[in-house]
This record gives sequence, structure tokens and C-alpha cells, in this order.
Amino acid sequence: MRRNHKLGIGLVMLGAIHVAVLFAGFFAPYGFATQNRELPFAPPTRIHFVDAAGKWHARPFVYALGADPANPEGYVTDRSVTCPVHFWVEGAPYKIAGVFASRRHLFGVEEPGRIFVMGTDAYGRDQFSRFLFGGQLSLLAGLLAAGLSVALGMVIGGVSGFYGGWIDEILMRGGELFLALPWLYLLFAVRAALPLHASQAQIFLLIVGVVGLIGWARPARLIRGVVLSAKERNWVVAARGFGASDMYLLRRHVLPEAYGVILTQGTLLIPQYILAEVTLTFLGLGVGEPMPSWGSLLSSLQQYYVLASYWWMFLPALLLVPIFLAFYLAADAVQEHLKSVTL
Amino acid sequence: MKATDSYILRIEGLAKTYVQLRRFTRERYKVRAFENVNLSIPRGGTLAIVGESGAGKSSLARCLAMLEKPDEGEIRYEGSNIVRASRKDRFSLHRDIQYVFQEAMTAVNPRFNAVEVITEPLLLQRMGTKAEQRARALELMRQVGLSPDDAEKPALEFSGGQRQRLATARALAVQPKVLILDEALSNLDLPNQELILRILDDLQRRHALTYVHISHDLRAVSQFADEVAVMREGKIVEHKRTADLFAHPEHAYTRELLEAMPSVESILLQRSA
Amino acid sequence: MKYLVRRLIHAALLMIGVSFFSFALLQWAPGDFFDELRLNPQISKQTIEGLRVQYGLDQPLPERYGRWLRSVAKGDFGFSVAYGSPVGPIIGVRARNTLVLTGTAILAAWLFAIPMGMWAAIGRNGWADRICGVATSTMLTIPDLLLFLCLLLLAVRTGWFPAGGMMSPSAESSGFWAKAKDLAGHTFLPAFGLAVATLPILVRHVRAAMIDVLESPFMRAARGHGISRSRLLFRYALPVAANPLISLFGFSVATMLSASLLAEVVMSWPGLGPLLIEATLSRDISMVVPVVLLSAIFLVIGNLLSDLLLFATDPRIRVE
Repeated sequence: MRRNHKLGIGLVMLGAIHVAVLFAGFFAPYGFATQNRELPFAPPTRIHFVDAAGKWHARPFVYALGADPANPEGYVTDRSVTCPVHFWVEGAPYKIAGVFASRRHLFGVEEPGRIFVMGTDAYGRDQFSRFLFGGQLSLLAGLLAAGLSVALGMVIGGVSGFYGGWIDEILMRGGELFLALPWLYLLFAVRAALPLHASQAQIFLLIVGVVGLIGWARPARLIRGVVLSAKERNWVVAARGFGASDMYLLRRHVLPEAYGVILTQGTLLIPQYILAEVTLTFLGLGVGEPMPSWGSLLSSLQQYYVLASYWWMFLPALLLVPIFLAFYLAADAVQEHLKSVTL
Repeated sequence: MKATDSYILRIEGLAKTYVQLRRFTRERYKVRAFENVNLSIPRGGTLAIVGESGAGKSSLARCLAMLEKPDEGEIRYEGSNIVRASRKDRFSLHRDIQYVFQEAMTAVNPRFNAVEVITEPLLLQRMGTKAEQRARALELMRQVGLSPDDAEKPALEFSGGQRQRLATARALAVQPKVLILDEALSNLDLPNQELILRILDDLQRRHALTYVHISHDLRAVSQFADEVAVMREGKIVEHKRTADLFAHPEHAYTRELLEAMPSVESILLQRSA
Repeated sequence: MKYLVRRLIHAALLMIGVSFFSFALLQWAPGDFFDELRLNPQISKQTIEGLRVQYGLDQPLPERYGRWLRSVAKGDFGFSVAYGSPVGPIIGVRARNTLVLTGTAILAAWLFAIPMGMWAAIGRNGWADRICGVATSTMLTIPDLLLFLCLLLLAVRTGWFPAGGMMSPSAESSGFWAKAKDLAGHTFLPAFGLAVATLPILVRHVRAAMIDVLESPFMRAARGHGISRSRLLFRYALPVAANPLISLFGFSVATMLSASLLAEVVMSWPGLGPLLIEATLSRDISMVVPVVLLSAIFLVIGNLLSDLLLFATDPRIRVE
């Protein structure tokens, strides 16, 4: 059945992405701040199985890079030393979710080799490692912000739809105000009003808060619609006739009708909000160095020479496509599933 | 010692108007649902209120059940005016006066299972422990002819007739003294109708319940009602004991209704023609 | 007529609300432009305070709002602390540039969305529809940022298009046609990117609206009368489908404006976008507020236009 396939594929992809990002320390050969000043803008390392002498190795290996005397911005491969790739190695220490310490990495290479799966940036930092760590920030920001928007939308839409009257008018007009501004402009306006220099954690919370808070209007409107029709149902009138309080009605009868909408809205918002965080950081208003975010990985592309010469800096942007695809597949599947069980 | 009133409900001068505000023009669109309604409902008996759609019967019924508020008049239940009742009083009054809807499919929340549906009023009225509530629910299910094995089934999986029985069981759960059935049987097929009527009849005899049936079907009502009140365009035009109404109808409208009722013989005649 | 008046009042109220809201942001701004200067130990406190008074930053908020409203009414949008010059002229040029870009993009987007949506609707569930579906889904999955970066890369690598900016320095002194050609060349990529970014949603809605109309009873009746297909489509179906689409137009202006911010920054188009970024980074609130306000004005005007269009084309609204 095509429907189940969509959901399955989407969920599997999402699961894989989240696992990779959560265990970034394990999957990444290097830390996100580890610099290799002598190797700025190094291209992605090539994996070899056959060495310069024509011998075949069972274990893949890489060659170290050295400065090219002829070209100050290029590199030559030093084919004299083979640096085998090892798996399950001990490397730089890291913490999973800030709690579990470990030194295990999925793979690494012997000195003096370096394995840059996605090349390096201006400071010689491994882009692949930074991509994984950056995912922690961007994904978490998107998730939290979407949760915030939906929660806010639920409260406001619920109150608005249930009580009606002037509360409804005021809240919906307020929502219109939020919808009247192009959201990216609104985002910047609010960001501008907030301090530029704060601790990283504070800036992160700020971004989550701002992105989440400006997006409540659309979910609120949809939830309000559901609440409006749900509260007129005969079983709600009956429950009122048994002496039910408003809170009871909302909790037991009205809001459960909105769960479908809430879920679809949430899953649609997550990728949008991830993109919002990426855009903010890309333009310089996100969490600062050295903590990476997918946006900061891409910000160097604003310079022509980077864009033109170092193609691997593009990779994080390309990787965003399958990630968003996974979210949209899952969201689509959720929507279809809910349509089929609507009473 | 005050003698017990033979009438459990006395309605005096009741009136209700629905006002619809048209947006952006300041006109108000008024609909007079009913006016100047005076009724006395005998204790332990069955009153039927008949009339065509739009006559105001449902609005009257909802006011009786305290689901809506009338604009004028009084409803005296056991002597006290329930229209003016405080929140606290209304809470316990809901235990005494219950209401069953016409629409079976929307009468109960399809997401709730049978036990949840029936125990909801018990929960809200805080009657009994969880175990007692569940026991009562199962007992009621049996009384309305539903199998206790279906206790955990969601209401979604019940047919229209079964849901109506669930709704009736729910209304009976709090042991009301007055049951208002708003065209509750109209959407059921005959076997289901008869089943519910039998159950109600049995309960009425055992517990001296008072019923108010709202219906548009004069003939059906004649089977079980003690008294009949005819409503037309928001006013009660005639109110008599059933036999008297059928034998000596006074109002022209009543006579119209009686004449419009096809007798069994005439139906058979038409069919064979 | 009442409808128009209502929409105008609504728009005006919205503008007042938005302006107040943007000004309220100031209340929560814990610092200001001079924070950076404060960090510099060489500049004395008195100098900074003097500068603040000079720019009127020490006045209470309602007074500043009132003064600001009055000056806006006179056409004076305030003074930018970062630029050291009046805000009005700076914004004016940038706004014009943004309008050029977004106007072109909206036109392009709708020009493609309507035929595509119609095509998909007519052949619904057939191969045309499926191709459209796949195309729109693909376009939806590609984040705007990636799209604009790719376009920029294309320009840089192939040299077919100028890599950003709005006007080549050489064109400054050329004649009208040369200037026009130059502008077109610069506008093409960003407008193309913007159109692609907003196209999928539009196509989906056009398709849905057309399917709704095509399957309605009155269309079946018209078909039964033997009216020609093209006449059916354009004289019967499209006018009815136009109603929800005209409302969508207002919404598409909003998304277009947001997307244009990113496009302008990436493609170095001198519009409101880069201006806003600069102002935000330098905490120049006196520049941020008018820019945001202007974007809201564009949006409200866009919606008003669609309301007007609706009024002109849909007789049902006129009767109300």
C-alpha cells in the first residue's frame, strides 16, 4: 500500500537523521571546534583501496595533504604514507546529550592523515563533523519552536473558539496582525529588538522563542475552527446538561477533536522552523561561533570566491533536501492517515 | 405538612425568542420560538407535546431540561422556579431532569466507549465510586438490551438504534425523576422504537418516572401518552387526556392533525389500489 | 460599496496596529545603537549621553510614538543613527527596488501557476496531473536558501547572468534600451528563483479551485448543453474559480515578500532585505521599524488590491 510506504520511508529517514544527530559525537571523527589551521578549505578526502605501488589494501586508507609550493591555495597529496581508516576508534572525548561521556568514534584515521568527508572550511574545521553537531542545534530549534507555536495556537485557538464573543474578536484580530507582516521581516524586527550579545544558550532560547511565538496565528485559526464546530455537538450539550464545567468539556470532548489538526500543523511547521533558524544563522543573527548550525555552515557561501571555488561548502545545503523530504513525507502520511480515521 | 403536588412540573407564561444579529447591518432577525406556554405535567405520567417542525417543541423541551434559558415565565419543579436556580441548585437539578436527543448518531461522543458514555453523568455528578459506576453502567446496558460484552466498544461501532439506547441508558444513569425525550424515537426503526418504549414503560411503573415526549407523530404518541398537548407556531392550542383529545378535539388545528393521520385501513387501501 | 469601505477601514486599522506593534518592540529593546559605543572605553559616558539626547532616544515611548506618527504624516520617516542621514530617501530607493523584483516575480509565478494548475485540473489523476504533482512536490522540498545559492552558483560558474546586484556600472551611462536590457539581465535570476519558490503552493491551489469548479453541478449542466470546451473553461469555469484565487493572491504577496528578503541578500539585490539585515545587525532601530512597517504596508496594499479585484469580478460580493 502506497500510503504505508510513504509513512514508513519518511519515518525511517527521520529516525536515521535524528539518531545520527543525537550521537553526533560518535559518528563524527572530529569535534566541531577542532581547527586545522594549516588545512583551510581542503577538499573532501578521497578514500583509496589501491596504493601508489599498485598494491590492494583490504582496509581503506587516505593520504595526508600538504601545502602545494606552486599554488598557495591548493594542496598536494602525499602518497608516501598510507593512513588506514580504522573503525570503532578512540578519539577526542565528547558527551552524548551532555550527559554520557565517551571517546568512541565510528571511524578515524591514523596520523598524519585526516579524513574530511565533506572537506573543511576557512579554519580547517571538518565540515562533516560540524554538520552532525550543527544538526543538534537546528533540529532541536525547529522542534522546540514548532512545539511552542502549536501549544500557543492550541491555547489561544481553544479559548477563542470556545468562549467566542469579544475575546474571540480580540484574539483573532491580534492574529491577523501577526499574519499581516511577512514573517521573515517580523522575525528580524523582533530579533533586532533583542540583545545581540548574550550567552549561546540565551540566544538559542531567544531564537526558539521568537520563531515559535510569531507563528501561532495559523494553527490558532485552524484549531479555533475545529473547536467552534466541536462545541456545538450534541454530546457536548448533553455533558453540559450533566453539569460539566468548561474545563472538562474542553479537555474531554473538544480538544481531542483538534489533535489531528495539531499533529499535522506541528509536522508541517517543524521543517519551516528549521529553515527559519538556518536562515537567521546564515544571515548572522543566530547562535554564534564556535557552536555550528546548518546556517553557519552555509554562511561562508555569501562570498563569491568560496561559492565559485570550493564546491564542497555547498554540501550541507544539498543534504537539507532529503531531510526536508523526510519531514514532508511523514507529514503527508500523517495527514492522510488522519483523514481516513475522521469520524 | 404540605401535600405532595400531583403535578411535578408547572410551566407558567414561558416564552423564548431567538435573536440573530446580521453581520454589519444593525438589523436583528427575531424568531419567536414559543410564547405564553402554560403546562402542568402530572407526576408519574407521560405528556406528549405534538406539532409540526418549527412549532417550537424542541426549544420548549430544551428549556425544560435547563439546556437553554427562556426569556419570560417560570418553570416550577417541585415548587421552586428552576429558571432562577443558582449554579449549585442547577447542578443537582440536572440529576432530576434529564434529556434525550433526537439525533442518535451525534448524541454520544463516538470516541467514548459504551461504559464511558453511560458513566459520564455519574462522573460529573460525582455519584458512586469507579467500581459502582461501572457496575451501574453494565446493569443499564442490560436493561436497554445491549450486551455487556460490548462495554469497551467505542460508540463509533454501534448502530443508530444502539446509540440511542446508549443515550437513553446514559440519561437514566443518574436516576432522574423527569425524562424529556425530544423526538428521541423519530429516527429509529419500529423494532427499536418498541423496545425502548417497553423499557421506558417498565421503568415508569417501577420508579414512578415522569416522561415528556416531544413528537410530530400524533398516532405513535397515542399509544403511550396519558396526556397530549398540541403546539402550533409557538403556542399550545389544546391540552387534554389522550382519549379525550382523540374523541373530542376542540381546536381546528387538532382536527387537521387528526384528519391528516392516515388510519391503518386507508394505508392498506391505497397500497392495494 | 459598503464592502470597499469596510476593507479600507480594516486595512487602516491593521496599519495602525502594526505600527504600534513595531514601536512597542522598542520598549523591549534592552539596549540600543550606542551599546557598541559603550563598550569602547575611549568614548566617555557624557559623549554617549549627549548623542542619545541629540537623537531623542531619552524621551518616553508614547511621546516618541506620537512624534514619529506626526512626522510620518509629514513624510519624514526619521533619522537613521547608523547612516547618519534621513531614513526616507534611503528606504525609498530600496523599496522601489524590492517592488521591481517582487512585482516581476509575482507576475511570473502567477503566469505559470494558472496554466499549470488548469492543465493539472483538466487532466486530473492522469499523467499531466501526476507530472505536475511531482514537480510541485520537488519544488516544495527544496529550501529557498539552497535554490538561491544554486542560482548564484550558476551565474558565477557560467557567466550567462550577472552574479548579483541590480545594475552594472557600465550601464549607468548607457541609453534607455541598454539600461533596460541590463536591468532585465540582473532581474532574471532572482525573480526566477522567487517565482519557483512560491509556484508550488499556487499551482496546488489553482488546481484545487479548478477541480472544485469543474466538478460542480452547473458545469456538468453547461457541458450537457454542448458548449465548446475552451469556452466552458474560460467563460464558465475560470471566473468562478477566480474568487478563491484572488484571495490567494493577497496571501502570495506575503510569502513573496518574505522570500524576497533572502533572495535579495543572497543575490546582492539592493532592496529592503539587505537594508533590514544591516539595520538589525547594528541595532539601528530607527531604520528597522520603518522597513518593517513598509513591508507591512506592501502586504496590506496587496490584500486591498485583491479585495478590489474581487469586488470588480465577483458579482456576489457586490450584492452583499
